[in-house]
Amino acid sequence: MDPMAAIRETFFQECEEQLCELESGLMRMEGGETDQETVNAVFRAVHSIKGGAGAFGLEDLVRFAHVFETALDRVRSGKLEASANAMRLLLRASDALADQVRCARDGATPDEAQTTSLAAALKALTNGDATEQSDPAEDDGLGDLTFLPLPVPVEDETLQTGGWVIKFRPFADLYANANEAALLLREVSMLGPVRVTVDRSALPDFAELDPEGAYLAWTIALHAECDEQAIRSAFEFVEDDCELVISRASDQSDRLNLPQPDAEVAGGGTAETIPTPDPVTAANVTANSGMPSDADVLAMIRKAQQSVSSSDREQPGAIAGGAQNPSPPAVRSRQDAAPGTDGAPSKNDTGSAVGATIRVDLDRVDRLIDLVGELVINEAMLTQRVMEAGLARASGVAAALDELEHLTREIQDSVMAIRAQPVRSVFQRMPRLVREVAAMTGKQVRLLTDGEGTEVDKTVIERIADPLTHMIRNAIDHGLESTDARLAAGKPEEGVVRLTALHRSGRIVIEVADDGAGINRERVKAKAIEKGLVAPEAQLSDEETDNLIFLPGFSTASEVSDISGRGVGMDVVRRSVQSLGGRISIASRPGAGSTFTLSLPLTLAVLDGMVVSVAGHTLIVPLSAIIETLQPQAANVHTLGTDVRVVAMRGRYIPLVDVGMALGYSEVPLEADKSVALLVEGEGGIRAVLIVDAIQGQRQVVIKSLEANYRAVPGIAAATVMGDGRVALILDVDAIVSVTRTELIRGDALRAEPTLLQAS
Amino acid sequence: MPLASSLTILVVDDQQTIRSLARMALEQWGVGTILEAADGEEALKAILTHKTPIHLIISDYNMPNLNGLSLLRAVRAHGPISKTAFIMLTGRADKQMVLSAVEHGVNNYLVKPFTPDSLREKIEAVIGALK
Repeated sequence: MDPMAAIRETFFQECEEQLCELESGLMRMEGGETDQETVNAVFRAVHSIKGGAGAFGLEDLVRFAHVFETALDRVRSGKLEASANAMRLLLRASDALADQVRCARDGATPDEAQTTSLAAALKALTNGDATEQSDPAEDDGLGDLTFLPLPVPVEDETLQTGGWVIKFRPFADLYANANEAALLLREVSMLGPVRVTVDRSALPDFAELDPEGAYLAWTIALHAECDEQAIRSAFEFVEDDCELVISRASDQSDRLNLPQPDAEVAGGGTAETIPTPDPVTAANVTANSGMPSDADVLAMIRKAQQSVSSSDREQPGAIAGGAQNPSPPAVRSRQDAAPGTDGAPSKNDTGSAVGATIRVDLDRVDRLIDLVGELVINEAMLTQRVMEAGLARASGVAAALDELEHLTREIQDSVMAIRAQPVRSVFQRMPRLVREVAAMTGKQVRLLTDGEGTEVDKTVIERIADPLTHMIRNAIDHGLESTDARLAAGKPEEGVVRLTALHRSGRIVIEVADDGAGINRERVKAKAIEKGLVAPEAQLSDEETDNLIFLPGFSTASEVSDISGRGVGMDVVRRSVQSLGGRISIASRPGAGSTFTLSLPLTLAVLDGMVVSVAGHTLIVPLSAIIETLQPQAANVHTLGTDVRVVAMRGRYIPLVDVGMALGYSEVPLEADKSVALLVEGEGGIRAVLIVDAIQGQRQVVIKSLEANYRAVPGIAAATVMGDGRVALILDVDAIVSVTRTELIRGDALRAEPTLLQAS
Repeated sequence: MPLASSLTILVVDDQQTIRSLARMALEQWGVGTILEAADGEEALKAILTHKTPIHLIISDYNMPNLNGLSLLRAVRAHGPISKTAFIMLTGRADKQMVLSAVEHGVNNYLVKPFTPDSLREKIEAVIGALK
């Protein structure tokens, strides 16, 4: 990729980060945190986007960012109050800025009208107190500034106040005579602060290295006013065994005009300073630094020095090691940024800081998950084969198998954890949605979120965004009353929508609650009757009435609005939630608001299931749906009408579903006392008793989509591969339970279904 | 007339984009060592710990932790590095800011967005023509 394109990509990535920061900063400001730091961070985000956009010639973006920035600058300088109105506008502007950035990235055309009107509103905001409006292209007004382009001679600061430059190249004899170069260097450093550069250009490959040879040379810049003799005396005993050149530093005042220290030229720029016993920089600082004009600056230098002196302390290791890794500067500064005052080796710091996260291609993770899925199936098959062969009892095989199962399970959990992500990424999109819908409906809405850190499988995250969007739109459009109505009801002007995520019994539960008027049950029922969805004489509980809104073709909005769509809202939401193996329900309190509860499996890849036999077929019932298993007594089973049966349980009558008949496996009803019953709960808390021939056991199964591999089958959620290699179907409990009410499953399509099982 | 290859230049900006743009231009001119820092604090540490002198600091003004002006003041206040050349990058025409930077001894300033040419012009005004 050409470097400019790569930088452009970086720019857009950074823009995303900055937009995120901008939005969260503005929201903090809206919440009353108008401290300088927050305001400045918000300003900087827009400012940075503008700066980068300019570099890539994104003029429209620059223009809008500039207006935005000007407004923020006024907030920053306290000239503009961060009122609720102003904040709303700024948030809308941040949305528009995000749109523009994305348009610029994808080469699309942004919404011109929206941009123009927002820009005008921002300008009005800034001009509210009659001040000048600057233009990005405006002259900076500094043309007349007598600016001092004072050319700085680029020189080595250790040389500029005089001192000495010593070139020291030991011969092999120096070492042979038991002298140590480092000690000599230390001797020199006693005379004053030194900067030592090693030249290791003469160092041969390791294979050719003479262990008794001499390959290193040093250039020492001595920052001291002593006489030459003092320096010579340091080298007194080795004078004949080395090449020693001592010269005045002033002879080479412009370091850059001179040949560089040999090391830098010959050694590929890997010159290093040999540490001195006395940490030069650190020692000098307190002495040399003038009074900084500002305590913060002083503190900064101190802080920086701490890391300097602590890294100096580590350097004796550097001498011993000889050649060092020439670490890239960027890494180095990060390394120093790590707290290292305890003298811990900074290399380790770097390791832990840099290695905290890795980015992995999603395909690789998916492949791993598929493989682990196969492993789970294989493990189950192995166990079954061993059991069948009767080996388990005879030896330690059973224990080994247990261990294998345990490990497999652990691997699976770990792999699933890789894909788990906090719902934050979806929740983050919602504030913007709320602002837009609020603006469209003219309502004042505050969104409160909780549990953004709740983790759920990535595939689930991707697919909850749409239903959630619908639910939030619905909550604002239909749930919340208009401002007037709220005031009349004695509620605060601003409506609250609360978005919460939490884990509950192996599922993720997402709640969207509003503090609106709640569901108007009279109207809902009237509407449902009018549309022929329920019989006029039907006796419905409050809960049942509320859940009518999920019926297809139901819409309570008297007029069709753009926001919630053409009344397809909630039944579409329910369908998409169900396709994820989820459930949705609503609870409503008149006058106090409604709460939508969405419950989803944590993963779409595995499922804990109860393996049951039905008319010779093996089926899986999701464990999460099962409340208890029981052996029904014939006396407790009552028949209503011709074929509807109910079970009396703890004073209640619960509909009984013969799974074999519901799925069309058998034509003859199973006798209740010869079967096993599972008490299950479907969506909305509707209970039913499923009767099956027998329970085989409990097992974690890998979900294989039936839709992707075959086609959607009513009453069946998915399929899996069992330990013996056969395909087993996973029951869609919600659909089966609803059979008790509508009989909708017994379609002809279903009766042809058993062929699928035999095909395996 | 400094040899570009012997120069060590530190680019300080909280945006990777700007750092990369500057680096690309500097590399084109053969600048020997280009260091980067994401804010003033990181920059100061880099300056104090770098083994060879840094000849020129090109720093953004508005950055988290330690802004460009504070970085300039810290550099100027600290003996061993106080003579380091300093060019301030400013995002907007902020006369007040430039004036206070001049007061604290900035060697030149450059308004973002900069072009490689304008960057080179400012660098050469400070340390002489690059070779």
